[in-house]
Amino acid sequence: MSNRAGTTAAVPPTGGPPTSGVRRIHLPQKLRNIELALLLVACGINAGAIVLVQLGALGAVDTQLILLGVGLSVLVIGLHVAMRFVARDADPFLLPIATVLNGIGIAEIYRIDIAFGDAGWDSAAVRQIAWSAIAIVAAIAVILIVRNHRVLFKYTYLSGLVAVLLLLLPLVPGLGREINGARVWIGIGDIATFQPGEIAKIALAVFFAGYLVRNRDSLSMVGTKFLGMRFPRARDLGPLLVVWALSMSVIVFQRDLGTALLYFGLFLVMLYVATSRLSWVLLGLGLFFAGAIVASQTLGYVNARFDNWLNAFDQDIYDAVGGSFQLVQGLFGLANGGLIGTGLGQGRPDITPVPQSDYIIASLGEELGLAGLFAIFMLYALLVARGFRIGFAGQDDFGKLLGVGLAFVVALQVFIVVGGVTRVIPLTGLTTPFLAAGGSSLVANWIIVALLLRLSDTVRNHPRLVIDG
Amino acid sequence: MSELTLLVLQLSFLALMWIFVFSIVWALRSDLFGQRVRKMQTADASGQSTPPTPPRGTEAPRPPAAAAAAGAGDIATTDNAGRLVITSGAKAGSEFPLGRDEITIGRSSDSSIIIRDDYTSNHHARLMLWSNQWMIQDLDSTNGTFLNGSRVTVPAAVPLGATVKVGATTFELRR
Repeated sequence: MSNRAGTTAAVPPTGGPPTSGVRRIHLPQKLRNIELALLLVACGINAGAIVLVQLGALGAVDTQLILLGVGLSVLVIGLHVAMRFVARDADPFLLPIATVLNGIGIAEIYRIDIAFGDAGWDSAAVRQIAWSAIAIVAAIAVILIVRNHRVLFKYTYLSGLVAVLLLLLPLVPGLGREINGARVWIGIGDIATFQPGEIAKIALAVFFAGYLVRNRDSLSMVGTKFLGMRFPRARDLGPLLVVWALSMSVIVFQRDLGTALLYFGLFLVMLYVATSRLSWVLLGLGLFFAGAIVASQTLGYVNARFDNWLNAFDQDIYDAVGGSFQLVQGLFGLANGGLIGTGLGQGRPDITPVPQSDYIIASLGEELGLAGLFAIFMLYALLVARGFRIGFAGQDDFGKLLGVGLAFVVALQVFIVVGGVTRVIPLTGLTTPFLAAGGSSLVANWIIVALLLRLSDTVRNHPRLVIDG
Repeated sequence: MSELTLLVLQLSFLALMWIFVFSIVWALRSDLFGQRVRKMQTADASGQSTPPTPPRGTEAPRPPAAAAAAGAGDIATTDNAGRLVITSGAKAGSEFPLGRDEITIGRSSDSSIIIRDDYTSNHHARLMLWSNQWMIQDLDSTNGTFLNGSRVTVPAAVPLGATVKVGATTFELRR
């Protein structure tokens, strides 16, 4: 059913404005050609990273993993070709950026596998490549199936329900798995574990966008003025309190601080964008910090996180079980990397616990140095900026909000992870988008990229009138 | 593999990453710094201009005529406004039907109405729907947006037949 809507969106409109005095800007496939050129550079960077890891750590080139990498490049080119047909006006930068981030992540995970001596299916890098393949196929499926983002608007409340169900799944006995204290995984047998919360963040973004578009008038227009700001009425506080309660229950029952912060931050930003009222942000931040302070006093694991953060270099805390050992090792690693890093494959990132997932940023910082880390941050910044721009240039309110929300989710997640590793904020267990080892996160982030591409295709609009003065 | 070779390889890898970053920034420079104003094209256009281009001369007699054409200056809504008509500027006389989509006006190529002249900002103004009423909002443009001659500072409802002026172009909403 979305097919018909899709064709009108993908191909510049045929009906509509009169032809006299109207000139359409139609640049056939120019954007896709930029994308292809950047993609080839991206694949080159990824291959280079793997070869450098092998030269640095093994001293020789081993073709097996490179062949797997070539397989991924073929899939990415497949996504590019699909876009030539169904999303030809989509943003040309998102796909190359995501490809480079994913590839650098695989190279660094592979480097840590070499240090641990893992090979075959035990190797996290091989699993990461398999998950990347699944994720890219999922992205292609999203691009092909969702031909017009307004279809998602119809499923606002359904996606809200899906999000809540996904959040509840890990609490189901028998299905849920508890790893490192956080109960956010599900698993069937011992084979595959999956973090449904990662997918839930996309469903939540869709739900928030749809909900706010429908209800923002009552949230933005009425209220009493106080201290120069218009504060909402008590009865309009409902949604904010519901989402706050949701995040707090994630902290209490799933013991996952980062995810709670992510969901709540996402809602606040989308609320702010929808209503352009600062008072919502102040109210929300006040609520969240009140909750976090109560949690840090009453919940042991939150309290420990705060302790590790504030007194990381205290010898007792450093030696304690679950203490700041990991955090401090990560900082030592970053310091060891210095400006240009030790070189891929030549550092000692494996000393830090879980260097391939939570601490991938510290591992990369050690081996690529400040210069490499900042290149990665620039790529994130560009990715998020493109997302905001897609939101800004959007024609319909739902698309605008969804674009901003999806881009912000990536930005906030990077901030929470990198802030935690570099000791700016307390450490929380979130994955670094695209880089960290973890299948669910990869799938979720590739779907986000696919949705942003779809949005940008309908958004990168077709000017109705061009006036050359 | 000697240490020096590895160092050189590492440095060239870092350089490659930054080249990638800067090639993206280069490719989207028009988004960051705005579209170049096409002086050549303006010179061409004014040289062969048979359609009325004088920006200010024709404007003075317009408002009364427009006011007469419109129905008593009701606020334009989705029900009573059917089209947007350019009343002066390079494309005077052209029009297109209004839908329910917001209309952005500016020099950037993602605007719905692209006006490429020296007076228009990249993202100059937009026409949006607030509970079915057409509102004009100035997007902090350099030279301002004018509704019936007064500068738009906060989003303002657009009456039918009222003159909206962006740079050297004016338009109005009509039935």
